[in-house]
Amino acid sequence: MGNLKVTMTDVNGETRTFEDVEEGVSLMELGKQNGVAGIMGDCGGGCACATCHVYVDQNWWDKVGEPDDIEFAMLDMVADVMKDTSRLGCQIKMSPELDGLTVTVAPSSSY
Amino acid sequence: MATQTIESKVSERVPLTPEEEKVLKEGSLTDYEIQAHPREYFRAMRHGDPIHYDEKLGSWLVTRHEDIWAVQSDPVTFSVHHGYHDFQARGLQDEFRAYLREHGGGYFPDAIMSDPPYHTRIRKLMENAFTAHRVKELEPRITEVVHDLIAEVIERGDGKCDAVKDIAIPLTIRVIVEQLGLDHGMEDKISRWSVAVTAQISAMQSRETMLENAKEIADLQNYLIGKMKEREQERKEDMISDLVHAEVTNEDGTKEKLTFEEAVSLVRATLIAGNDTTATAIGNLFYVITTKPGMAEMLEEAVQDERKLNRFVEEHLRNEPPVRALSRATTREVTVNGTTIPEGAHMLLVYGSGNDDETEYPEPRKFDPTRPNLGRHVAFGGGPHRCIGLALARMEIKVAAREIVKQMKNIKLAVPQEELRYVPTVATRTLESLPITYEKREG
Repeated sequence: MGNLKVTMTDVNGETRTFEDVEEGVSLMELGKQNGVAGIMGDCGGGCACATCHVYVDQNWWDKVGEPDDIEFAMLDMVADVMKDTSRLGCQIKMSPELDGLTVTVAPSSSY
Repeated sequence: MATQTIESKVSERVPLTPEEEKVLKEGSLTDYEIQAHPREYFRAMRHGDPIHYDEKLGSWLVTRHEDIWAVQSDPVTFSVHHGYHDFQARGLQDEFRAYLREHGGGYFPDAIMSDPPYHTRIRKLMENAFTAHRVKELEPRITEVVHDLIAEVIERGDGKCDAVKDIAIPLTIRVIVEQLGLDHGMEDKISRWSVAVTAQISAMQSRETMLENAKEIADLQNYLIGKMKEREQERKEDMISDLVHAEVTNEDGTKEKLTFEEAVSLVRATLIAGNDTTATAIGNLFYVITTKPGMAEMLEEAVQDERKLNRFVEEHLRNEPPVRALSRATTREVTVNGTTIPEGAHMLLVYGSGNDDETEYPEPRKFDPTRPNLGRHVAFGGGPHRCIGLALARMEIKVAAREIVKQMKNIKLAVPQEELRYVPTVATRTLESLPITYEKREG
């Protein structure tokens, strides 16, 4: 068990903090393992479905960094809910530099 | 067990036109005419009876986007294992299985067509092969394969070809054959095998065609088993080797080797799923550019710009989803969108209707790559069973689109549109053949 901290607010507005996250675990895996509402991770972490979309807290954006082209192409498919700080949770792997990271799960595209 | 309601709203029922009333009452997905031109039937169901029991087919059709999404997100209530295996080779199952046991090295249930938690382990094993980043690495090689194939077709001269049989089908077979590590030059055989496997979920087989198909599947299995035995002895850099030697990780962290039966089923599934549906998408690409005004020009513009091309491909999948419908079976009595479905009932998630749902995609028949919610289409299904090869499929379509524009121009349908025939099946909407004329574009 690790000792990294992540705070996630789910699609229903409920905020949970995980304090024992292992290095290398992605936010998608973390969300799925803990039943965080709105994190589905359909494609299994392949950067191919946009069902683990999160907004990174502005204060953490520089450390987390921009999506690459492949990830951007997926985020572009949910443009109606995409923001400047959008990332796919499967592409953010926890590391000591990200200890304390705060993110909000993005809603799915509209009905 | 008491009825439970899954999270889906009761949608507003819209008054039907007399034509829609008629098709809803008399129509069935087993009718060839509806299989070929299903949109009115789908719309009548979405508006008047969104969870519709198709009596001739014996299946509940889930037709609204939101309901499809809700059902596929609950893999325990709506079982893929039962929906697939209990209805495979409908009505002829015992004979089908016995034939394969006798002639095809065994009956190998599809390990991936299963339910959690078993499914989760199998799926995990397959996922790494198909990530978008891994597929991106394959792009140069896929481009070479597609380039060469189209160049060969053009080389044959005369400015005519069958876009489905000469391009779409061999293209996707060549790509997957290379990934798996199978032999080249077997396109015709693999195409026949694919048809035989997918026919098992077509709901359209007679006993005679089932037996013909079973013979093809036996042939396929014997070929794959031979290849797998070779890789057991000598590992190579290909997916067959990976699967033959694969271990699944259990929840408690222990590892277990795949059984040989599981491995055969996964190699078979990768080969078939990896070519048939993507070929349909590429055939459809030729279909839309030859039948929809302005589409050829739109595609020519899109291939100049990566972002536009990605969006074009995604809208293409929404607009003409290759897989029309896939099955589930209820594991308890359950209410979806106001309709109660009994336990053990067969259902079809009708992706072809979900992608046309005007409450999700306004003006669904308009080809509009600027839609802001393209990623919500259900051409790849969704939930834990979402198509695992989706990134590879997108890449193949994208590369095909580029190469078509690069090497061909003035592409036209060579027969009247009314003469086009579709493969008779409930599962996909696939053109049997698409004769075209074109001119070679000089580089």
